[in-house]
Amino acid sequence: MSKVNACVIAGGQCKFGVREASYIDMVQEASKACLDDLPDLKPRDIDGLLFASTYVGRNSCQVNPAPVVAERVGLKPTSICTRVDVLCAGGSSGILLAQGLVQSGMAEVVMVLGSEKLYTPERWQIQYGEIAASDHDWDAPQGIGPPPLWFAMQAKDHMKHYGTTREQLAAVSVANYKYGFNNPKGHFQNELTIEEVIEAKEIAAPLGLFDCCPLTDGAAAIIIASEERAKDLSGRPLVYLRGGAQVSLHSVTANWPGKHLGDWPHMKLAAEKAFERAKLSPEDIDVAQVHDCFSISQIIELEELGFCKKGEGGPFMASGQTNLDGKIPVNTDGGLLSCGHPLGATGIRQGIEVVKQLQGRAANQVKGARFGLTHNLSGVNVEHTIVTYGREPKK
Amino acid sequence: MKGVPILEGRYSNILDMFPVECKEFNRIYTFYNNLKEGRFTTTKCKGCGKVSYPPRVICPECYSEKLEWIDLPTRGKVVTIAEKWRGIPICFTPPLIDAWIEFPDGSPVKHVLSRLINCEVGQVKEGDEVQLAVFDVPSHPMDKGKESIMVDRVFFAFEPVK
Repeated sequence: MSKVNACVIAGGQCKFGVREASYIDMVQEASKACLDDLPDLKPRDIDGLLFASTYVGRNSCQVNPAPVVAERVGLKPTSICTRVDVLCAGGSSGILLAQGLVQSGMAEVVMVLGSEKLYTPERWQIQYGEIAASDHDWDAPQGIGPPPLWFAMQAKDHMKHYGTTREQLAAVSVANYKYGFNNPKGHFQNELTIEEVIEAKEIAAPLGLFDCCPLTDGAAAIIIASEERAKDLSGRPLVYLRGGAQVSLHSVTANWPGKHLGDWPHMKLAAEKAFERAKLSPEDIDVAQVHDCFSISQIIELEELGFCKKGEGGPFMASGQTNLDGKIPVNTDGGLLSCGHPLGATGIRQGIEVVKQLQGRAANQVKGARFGLTHNLSGVNVEHTIVTYGREPKK
Repeated sequence: MKGVPILEGRYSNILDMFPVECKEFNRIYTFYNNLKEGRFTTTKCKGCGKVSYPPRVICPECYSEKLEWIDLPTRGKVVTIAEKWRGIPICFTPPLIDAWIEFPDGSPVKHVLSRLINCEVGQVKEGDEVQLAVFDVPSHPMDKGKESIMVDRVFFAFEPVK
């Protein structure tokens, strides 16, 4: 049997923000945006649905949402119709699974659709519900679940061990908000200065308001197809899914795998595995979307991905290396900080941006981009997910 | 009247941030019983000697079910500490103070992340010693046959050494 390659052929998202819409409304908006991206593609061409959502069970009282979603968006799946719940990496997990299904021959054209309704009718429920995002019996009663405290500690340890500064943290927010300025579908469209970031109200020192991604409602959809179907359906340059990885080494914070909290060996391992499977190295990557849930996260991720040396993420950011003319443009559509973070939709939003970059149609275009990467961490930093994309398939 | 009338006065465990600790529900109830006596414990495999935290009903190393309870240190040293004033879940009162605590050399469990209680912001510094603090958690009803029993609960945090 000849090897089947998996390609991304279309993608779209609804407006991210504080939405006057339910998860199922936004699912329909995103699927329309996705199919509008490739008008020749019809719902009947799609044989599989992976629906990424974490809080749909809790915030919208809907378990087994995949058939509900399939019906509303006009799909009649015959290969797969299931929910994926990996918190912040649900969308990327769906893309990895769709790649596997397509490459195995089980599915031909799969929609990966993520939606998250985080704004409950009364807002107290949002933070209370976030408690469920950590290991319930052990970390939730310690107030961890809403993640800022834990990431504040990771920032403090990184500062302690590597001399990272408050200004360097702020440089992440400034850079990503700048990219998000011309993204009308993101949560925010404003630029920031270093001073504004540093002087913003404190959430958990050293992290202030703009160091933390906002709570956001949203949905996004992407289509993964076999290379053969992709050639039938799309006239655009093909974008291939190369290799990926998902690594989980612990769940309860007490079992943190690093030497200290600024050391993320589980992410390093995920990067090594993904690059090995993709037959790529960090030097090959032209554009990356990394999980900037907090400013400190992006600094550490740049290190663990191998874009800079361990401990040098702060100066790397502050010297503009993630700008379009820098070493590696990162979060070119605004990232989580500016676009917001509707958990299950985020990895899909990142995938859409990478695909646009590789097809030469991004708003903040990286010239001649051939290989791209997305990364998510999940929950209270218990899992890392990496997807790689290329203009050519893995040989 | 607002919301869901059937919930009036009823316990909903899907909204409970604390574990259901009783032996009618949870096979590691010994941990909570020990906690009530001021002991911080976990399980050790009698076969391969692996100490696991949190406690298990099987050994994750060799899958043996022959486990014993051992005591962990109840004192440790603060490595990193952080406070949060905003975005605190309604079950906690701000400021929420959490610390990454290191246990003494020789402890089979190296670290734990815990709330610090019985202290003010700024009172506990990195390097300070803290100790286990056990506190009561609201009880809840539990169906047992045709009866309903009330289950008393505790949980733990750490506090400054007095």
